[in-house]
Amino acid sequence: MKIIIYGATETGYLVASELFEKHDITIIDIHESLPDEFHKLDISFVSGNGSNVNVLDAASIKDADIFIACSNLDEANIVSCWTAKKISGIETVCFVSNMEHFESLVSPTQSMYQTEFDINYVIWPEELLKQEIFRIITVPEALDVEYFAGGKAQLFEYKIKDDSLILNKKIFECTFPENTLIVGIKREDELFIPDGNTQLKQADKVIFMGTEQGLNIIARNFFQRQSKINTAGIIGGGSVGYMLAESLEKIGIKTKLIEANEQRCEYLADNLKNTLVLNGDGTSLELLESEEFGDMDVVVSVTNNDEKNLLCSLLVKQLGVKRVITRVGNARNVDLFEKVGIDVGVSPMESAIKDLRNRIIERDIDILALVERGQGEVIEVTTPKGFSDIAIMDIKSPAKAIIGAIKRGHKVIIPKGNTLIREDDKLIIFTMSDDAQIVKEYFIK
Amino acid sequence: MRISYILNAIGILLTYFGTVILAPIIVALIDKDYFSIIPFLTASIASIVIGLLFRKYGGFSKEFNDLKRTEGLFITALTWIVIAGIAAIPYLFYGLSPINAYFESVSGATTTGATILTDFSLYPKAFFFWRSMSQWLGGMGIIVLFIAVLPQFAVAGRQMFFAEAPGPTEDKITPRIRHTATALWLVYILLTLLEIIFLSYAGMPLFDAVCNSFSTLAAGGFSPNPESIMGYNNSSITWIVTFFMFLAGANFALQYKFLIQRKFGALIHNEEFRFYLKIVLFASSLLASILVLDQNYHLLDGIRDALFQIVSIITTAGFASADFELWTVPAKVALFSMMLIGGCAGSAGGGIKVVRVLFSFKYIKREIAQILHPKAILPLKLDKVTVSQDIMRQILGFLIFYIVLLIVSALVVSIIEGDVAVGLTGTAATIGNIGPGFGAIGPMGNFDGLSNVTKIIFIVNMLVGRLELIPFLAMLHPDFWHVKK
Repeated sequence: MKIIIYGATETGYLVASELFEKHDITIIDIHESLPDEFHKLDISFVSGNGSNVNVLDAASIKDADIFIACSNLDEANIVSCWTAKKISGIETVCFVSNMEHFESLVSPTQSMYQTEFDINYVIWPEELLKQEIFRIITVPEALDVEYFAGGKAQLFEYKIKDDSLILNKKIFECTFPENTLIVGIKREDELFIPDGNTQLKQADKVIFMGTEQGLNIIARNFFQRQSKINTAGIIGGGSVGYMLAESLEKIGIKTKLIEANEQRCEYLADNLKNTLVLNGDGTSLELLESEEFGDMDVVVSVTNNDEKNLLCSLLVKQLGVKRVITRVGNARNVDLFEKVGIDVGVSPMESAIKDLRNRIIERDIDILALVERGQGEVIEVTTPKGFSDIAIMDIKSPAKAIIGAIKRGHKVIIPKGNTLIREDDKLIIFTMSDDAQIVKEYFIK
Repeated sequence: MRISYILNAIGILLTYFGTVILAPIIVALIDKDYFSIIPFLTASIASIVIGLLFRKYGGFSKEFNDLKRTEGLFITALTWIVIAGIAAIPYLFYGLSPINAYFESVSGATTTGATILTDFSLYPKAFFFWRSMSQWLGGMGIIVLFIAVLPQFAVAGRQMFFAEAPGPTEDKITPRIRHTATALWLVYILLTLLEIIFLSYAGMPLFDAVCNSFSTLAAGGFSPNPESIMGYNNSSITWIVTFFMFLAGANFALQYKFLIQRKFGALIHNEEFRFYLKIVLFASSLLASILVLDQNYHLLDGIRDALFQIVSIITTAGFASADFELWTVPAKVALFSMMLIGGCAGSAGGGIKVVRVLFSFKYIKREIAQILHPKAILPLKLDKVTVSQDIMRQILGFLIFYIVLLIVSALVVSIIEGDVAVGLTGTAATIGNIGPGFGAIGPMGNFDGLSNVTKIIFIVNMLVGRLELIPFLAMLHPDFWHVKK
């Protein structure tokens, strides 16, 4: 694929280095030459303003497939996406760093406006970071979570630990609730599709699909070590802290938020309904102690300063918090943070790149999600008209695949062996990436 | 402050008020009571003559657009004092002493409803009509009316509008103050007409229906019947008056949104209105149970009279559907506590106002939370919007001044009258623009027996209460009196 990136920024570099091996990358930047780090990459470069028609032509935009705007200026990104769209109807991806812009651009009601915003995909790294932290808090033991069919069907990935109830058991022996399925297991970097006789071993990553209710039972019975999260502390009231508090209070978690800037505190207190906003320094042991941060179920440190995040996290860890999640600005430091005792380190850029990668790979085909760095895929296939009913156990598929869920009208069915597949069903299928095309052709033929 | 400016503005208002005061003559003519033409004609002529003199002094200027805030306050305050004086002129012709006439007139215009009349049979219909009408004019605000009608005040009206319209917040329904004033009067007139229709349908004579409706919507409390609403002895009339009193105590701007703009959520989504509704329901069920258990009321009568009386006192109307002077102490306490609340902001009711009471509760709650979390930033929200520091300071200042005035006035009156019940409830009833108190000044009694000093104190209380003190506080400051020609 031909990809044009506007902005030789840190984001631009991460995107380019992620994609340049498989795709043709052209970078547009206002400067005369690229920064040094880019020279390690095999890419071409056009100097100029990304919202200028001539510059875009020089980057041969008409032949390109995707335009990614990631300069440091939101407005420039938005205008360049619009310009690119006017020239060639190319798919555009726009990075923003400001809540107001994001809200307008992704507004679900824009189809009712006079003209839509006309940007295919908007990425706000901090928003993705918030989603990721929220997910880690709400389903603490899950390694990966994906939602399908408006959340009616879900995919969870769990690791089997050495004290697990289902360690060394065969799948058919486990008393998993109805409406759940094991669709894949990753053992020693290899993903495979199991059957009833597969034995679950230590350090296996097990991928479940099922309804929300069924998976919640699994989470509670087999993977939940600590009791439910009831209280949360957030240090840092920037966009991530604010949005996270908003999401947490919505599901009834008692949240306290520490922010150093008084004016920002007032803004937060105005806009958050139940969160207790505290004005003070997150590194102040006295404040952390008097507000009982040590007794919190989880503490999240999301200031925009890595050193401060690290210090706050270590302090609350010492006060006795079981789970500490820390924002790491520089993605390369995540491992280091986790080594010194932070439970989970998360980076906004990493979240953004992950999202972008999924987006680019999922572009053409009906891929709903990528599992384990693209080894497995969840695809959606609609059975054609005139498809004759067939029970799942009678299917003789040329490749290994598991039907995780069937969307029939508004209903979502988690199938068993004797479930019949009918015409016009939407099948949500888990399969290995290499087999995806074969599986798809089998059902559509 | 520019004296000529202020006189000119008041002059304009007075000349127009001179025509308004002619209205009772129509009643007099229908009633074939030709004597009553003279008092109102005299008042009208006096009003127009004084008005013209003021305007002459002010140079007949028609431009008010650069009115200053202090001038707006002063015009508002002075207008009320002077217009109450004009409205008192007709009473003099019916044998009231000057102080009594002014008391009755201020009590009317400020929608208090405290009366000095002892024998209602002495006076003609035109007299009672004027009493109720003066309340009706004062209820929505004389100045609001003139802003709506007179184009001169299209711009300058803004300053005066918020000086007169009670409540801590500035509700504008429309971008232009003149349209807002018109809209409010529209709702007001509409509701008044509705009540007149309902009351006549329920069997009240048309004249009484008109007078009572005027007093109800103004949350005033003057009734042509000496025994107030109780005198009609009609259950459905009691219910109708209860309903309209309740509306009179609610914010008219919200009712405009509800009735005219058809935003049906406007009322119920308003925090003040919900609190108002809760207080009324809670207090009246409490009172009803006291009446039924303690005073052997029938259940339905108990509910009806409790609801009526609670609504009557909280909206500061001051009607009586029963002689609550005869009720037990707990029942009286329940009523007295309502005296300290008052109607909603932007309603015709007086008192502290529900929104300020609500604010006080939230303030106390916040202070408690602040002790537990000294570093917490705790916003104080009304209707999901944080109350700004300015408004917070203003509300607290108001509350303190209100309480100080209440205590001082209660003490002084108690000493003068030698009666604590009269001192305390009379003060609460006059500052809050309610009307009757307990004891000698109860619902079936009157204020005639009080000494002249007490009457003057009560007159001041009523005016200060109606204008929400703020203009008066400003007038106490020496800087206010930098007079320029």
